[in-house]
Amino acid sequence: MQARKVSLSTGELTYFVAGEGRPLLYLHPAGGVRWTQVLEGLAESFALHVPVMPGFDGTSAHGSVKSMQGLAKLMGEFIDKVIGGPTDVMGCSFGGCVALWLAAERPDRVDHLVLECPAVFRPKGSRPADAEARKKLLFLHPEKLPPESKPVEQEAANRRMLPHYRAPDDPDSELLEKVASIDKLALILHGTADRIIPKESVQLLKSRLPRSYLVYVWDAAHAIEVDQPERMLSLVEGFLQRSEGFIVNWGTLAVNPG
Amino acid sequence: MACRFWCPSRPRAKRFDQRKQDAETRLKFSFFHLMPYTHLELESHDWPFPNRYFDPAKASALYRTYVESMIHAEACGFDWVGCNEHHFSPYGMMANCNLIGGALAYPTKRVKIAMIGNLVPLNNPIRIAEEYAMLDCMSGGRLVAGLMRGIPHEYLAYNIPPGESWERQREAVQLIIKAWTEPEPFGWEGKHFQYRQVSIWPKPMQKPHPPLVISASNADSAKFAAEMRATMGMVLLADLPSGKECIRIYRETARANGWEPTAENVLVGMHTCIAETDEDARRWMAHGLKYFDQVLMGGLQASQRIVLQKTRYFENDESRDRWKSRLDKRRTLTLDEAIERGTVLCGSPETVVKQIKRIHGELGHGVFNFTVKVGTLPDEVIRRGMELFRDRVHPHVRDL
Repeated sequence: MQARKVSLSTGELTYFVAGEGRPLLYLHPAGGVRWTQVLEGLAESFALHVPVMPGFDGTSAHGSVKSMQGLAKLMGEFIDKVIGGPTDVMGCSFGGCVALWLAAERPDRVDHLVLECPAVFRPKGSRPADAEARKKLLFLHPEKLPPESKPVEQEAANRRMLPHYRAPDDPDSELLEKVASIDKLALILHGTADRIIPKESVQLLKSRLPRSYLVYVWDAAHAIEVDQPERMLSLVEGFLQRSEGFIVNWGTLAVNPG
Repeated sequence: MACRFWCPSRPRAKRFDQRKQDAETRLKFSFFHLMPYTHLELESHDWPFPNRYFDPAKASALYRTYVESMIHAEACGFDWVGCNEHHFSPYGMMANCNLIGGALAYPTKRVKIAMIGNLVPLNNPIRIAEEYAMLDCMSGGRLVAGLMRGIPHEYLAYNIPPGESWERQREAVQLIIKAWTEPEPFGWEGKHFQYRQVSIWPKPMQKPHPPLVISASNADSAKFAAEMRATMGMVLLADLPSGKECIRIYRETARANGWEPTAENVLVGMHTCIAETDEDARRWMAHGLKYFDQVLMGGLQASQRIVLQKTRYFENDESRDRWKSRLDKRRTLTLDEAIERGTVLCGSPETVVKQIKRIHGELGHGVFNFTVKVGTLPDEVIRRGMELFRDRVHPHVRDL
């Protein structure tokens, strides 16, 4: 994984790159970039690009980027300047919301969409401020967290950037109106033990997003990448490589398994 | 002339509500059938039981007799008719009890069709969700959906690792509930089950889904039943103290999970024989139990011992030892001792009324599950017992 910087119209953006192949843009969750087994695995087949949203992980905020739409536009500019053409986009939680805005605002720059427990259409209610309480909600198997993971305090500091981009109880009504017009093939993932994003939110998304598949990952909470990395990697790779064909069980005798 | 569109006055509506409420809260009785094959003349300790001894013509007659008894149970005041799944043994001839459920759906009108039930870890969970949804629609919303883990030897029949039984059970139950309740097509990426697109036709009639029964004969399973908000099922009670303890754990876990079970959420079952006199009932029960223990259970006990000794079917040694001791206890207990301990109902109608009151007083459950076909207990004796239940037992115990 290499850290790089690029100068965009609103300021400098830090990003990481790893692997070779078809480009894949990964948009991180509110806790910041978490280098998981899933990302490592994807980097073996894809040219993975992981931008750090302004203000996260110790980077500076961009003064004029103050909304989810603004972040999406910035990611569009990042694709133009760094990737240079349409790319598959994967977003986790907060990053999933940015990915949807990106698909809505810059459809010419998005191919497949992978939305891991996307933080959209959430019911009103308080979120735990306490870092340990949040950790319990995030992970069903915290013992699987990579040893070099950032401390919870750092993740908490990242989360303090959220109000900069969206109101805490934003119902995403504007996004909800736009979702039906997104015609990208999308895979929505939700952990069966997710207590941060309720299943009703992803069901609503699935019902509005025309070309979407919703898959529940069993024995996983919000951070599916951490709780069930092997199963998630296999699922995402299958979807990105086979498009609609990922619903077929290819077995071992497939004529063209690739 | 009476008004065709009579509007019920307040007191009358109240009486109706009261009757409905009474019907919902009174003690329920389930007529449960194992459907054993009863034409064997040898003891066996082999598993599987060699099927060269199976006569399809005799089985055909047995199925007819058994199904007719279950249909007749409705007229005898029973609230549920129940059956379950077993494999490779004369112990029970229902490899798929849903077929029997289908045969019961149309000739009956009121009784709940209780499948207690499909062995979830052994089967395709989506198929279970589909077949149960069919039964619920066919019966007009009368299905009771048992999601059982199965006794140890069943894992040999379907070549499923017994050590995976709990994981498979937990995952499959959640998947089945999803298949019944999801508003949109969905995929499932589990450890034991994977489906890319699920959207079952039909969906169940009862909303959000049919009531569940989950076996709860030990602490672990009682906890799981409570977590799933299912009725706890102890289809064959081992003894009253252990039953009481399971009920305590179940209620405690339910409260911790934010709900309060009603009496009807506790099902307790036992071998049952009602005859004109105590002597007749004991004689017939002893006759049936001899075949049950020596023929039907012989091979099962041998295979279960292998599973228990060689695998992690139970999550801990304590649960395994309790199961083994329960098997041993059943084998060594005399009929008199079993009646005394409250694990068998047997006697004249008046005696059985007393036994029911005593057991219900101890356990406070809401559903009594009568296993009526014990080994070779004759079907005409069972029929007479059903009538005695209707006329001389049920009127004295239904309002407990």
